[in-house]
Amino acid sequence: MSDRMVIAEPLPNDTLAATTPRHSNGSAPKRPDIVEVRELRKVFVKRTKADVSGWRKLLPFGTRTTETFTAVQGINFSIKEGEIFGLLGPNGAGKTTTIRMLCTLLQPTSGTATINGYEIARQANLVRQHLGAVLTGERSIYWKLTGRENLEYFAALYHIPPLIARRRVSELLERLDLANRADELVERYSSGMKQRIAIAKALLASPPVLLLDEPTIGLDPQSARNLRELILEIKREERTILLTTHYMEEADLLCDRVGIIDQGKIIALDTPSNLKSSIKQLDVVQMEVENLDPALTDALNQLPAVRHVVSRYSDAERVWSLALHADDSRGILPHLIELIGSRGGQIRHLAVAQPSLEDVFISLTGKQLRD
Amino acid sequence: MTFTHRSLISELRALITIAWKEWVIFKRYPSWVIAIVIWPVLFPVGYIFTAKALGGPAGVDLAAFRALAGTEDYVSFIVIGSILWMWLNMTLWDAGLQLRNEQMRGTLESNWLCPVWRGSILIGSSLTKLATSLFCLAVSAVEFRLIYGIRLASGNPALLALVFLLVIPIIYGIGITFASLVLRFKEANALVFLVRGVFMIFCGLTFPIEVLPGWMRSVAACLPLTYAIRDIRAAILTNVTLAELMPDLTILAGFALAMPALGYILFLATERRSRRTGDLGQY
Repeated sequence: MSDRMVIAEPLPNDTLAATTPRHSNGSAPKRPDIVEVRELRKVFVKRTKADVSGWRKLLPFGTRTTETFTAVQGINFSIKEGEIFGLLGPNGAGKTTTIRMLCTLLQPTSGTATINGYEIARQANLVRQHLGAVLTGERSIYWKLTGRENLEYFAALYHIPPLIARRRVSELLERLDLANRADELVERYSSGMKQRIAIAKALLASPPVLLLDEPTIGLDPQSARNLRELILEIKREERTILLTTHYMEEADLLCDRVGIIDQGKIIALDTPSNLKSSIKQLDVVQMEVENLDPALTDALNQLPAVRHVVSRYSDAERVWSLALHADDSRGILPHLIELIGSRGGQIRHLAVAQPSLEDVFISLTGKQLRD
Repeated sequence: MTFTHRSLISELRALITIAWKEWVIFKRYPSWVIAIVIWPVLFPVGYIFTAKALGGPAGVDLAAFRALAGTEDYVSFIVIGSILWMWLNMTLWDAGLQLRNEQMRGTLESNWLCPVWRGSILIGSSLTKLATSLFCLAVSAVEFRLIYGIRLASGNPALLALVFLLVIPIIYGIGITFASLVLRFKEANALVFLVRGVFMIFCGLTFPIEVLPGWMRSVAACLPLTYAIRDIRAAILTNVTLAELMPDLTILAGFALAMPALGYILFLATERRSRRTGDLGQY
């Protein structure tokens, strides 16, 4: 078997070079793009049982119909070396499908993407050599092996020479604060520790690109905080990170740039501060209201200068949370308070806040990230 | 610059590491003792006592059996068939379900994300299953010697070894084919019952296939285990020569090449389909 690392070269891609300038205005060179995604599209074909009536419902086999679902609709973006790029969007927006295509688990229907210069469809194995991925978190490792055994196993699957592998495994265990539990079975680890082993696995080959799919989902607040610090540490090693999240605070804290994705399309892409500035002319009024008549949100939407109103009911606290975007909050506040009071609602909390990434999402889509 | 350095040696190392991982996980489940030590003894007992009852006191009614099977030693006859069936059964449950088990554990995608050759993932874990199965068969042979007085190492050991060498790729070819089908349909039980049911009925597991109706014998002639069971019985229970077995061995050699190839082609097709549909991580 040949040594593919030596003989393979990144595919030339004139189109990408033409659309992605590497230098601007002859000034200091910009960092090159290490991930480039062009017109990436994924259509799933689903075969479902046709709607039948009567006795035919009892049959195990019936007429089937074919439905298509476009999960990703021709998206474009690029990520610079050493950057943390976030794909922010609600569940089902197309984040995970995108990341699965980039890590070669899923074949795109059309479009292309390169990782470190290697094309995901034609050079899949080289792409896998140059990226680490954490997709299903704690389920991506063997619970019946110890932390060390897991890492040694995956080091062999990454073709890392044994001496380097042993050193690398010890380094990573030490660095991720797992050294003292390294020889215990993973099934005895906490969720946060399992997630750290999964990240250590992704870092084993020292890849220039890391793909993290919802890395903090299911973690307790402390573990999530620790993991975010770790992601920032990894960034300081000049590695490039693409992460998906539906936590706007996470995207805001970690990402140099954020692509907001909804229904398979990237609807905004910029730095978190630029995205927030884009709606700075809007005031964001946040309220918590008890006994709110749900029909009132329609009435609030009719108030002059109100752009969007989104509401969510908390079963635990029995309170409605409202986020209202308006051109002039001072002008509408008296109307707002009067209207809610007249319908029997009691305002528990009211604040005019700075726009967050969630507000950007609301202003673009009219719905919340966690709808 | 990554630490990845792909070469033939690194691929072999990956393959051995996959086999090692399977072994470590296998021995951390204590139920392996039942699979290896107890089950082989229990499995053929029912068939042996049925045969004993049908054979009458001191085997007076065994003449018909001898005419069809070429031996009066019905206990060894049944035990040999049941050993082969047990081996196939273990392969279907172990090697055949290996990818599905990884899928349900959530680790299949982790393996797929690595730049390792896909065949190594399949062969590596099959190696461990092969080793444990052969160990189980060896334990069975010792137990049968002690409990039923059967000497499986008698007859023509060289010929027996040759038949076994041909049977290994056939059994694991069936296992790989099965693994791909299970990954595709995400349902193992029905498939296991179907496959082993077919082999149990048509391959003369506990009876000479001469008792089957004509059409069933035609089906039996298409199944590799029919030849494997017949040849192993011949090598142990009769003084058969290599020349006499050559026609059967040629057919077995054909199956030994065809079954792994069929399994790998099906595996590649399943992998391609999974990349298109995205169902690799779904369970």
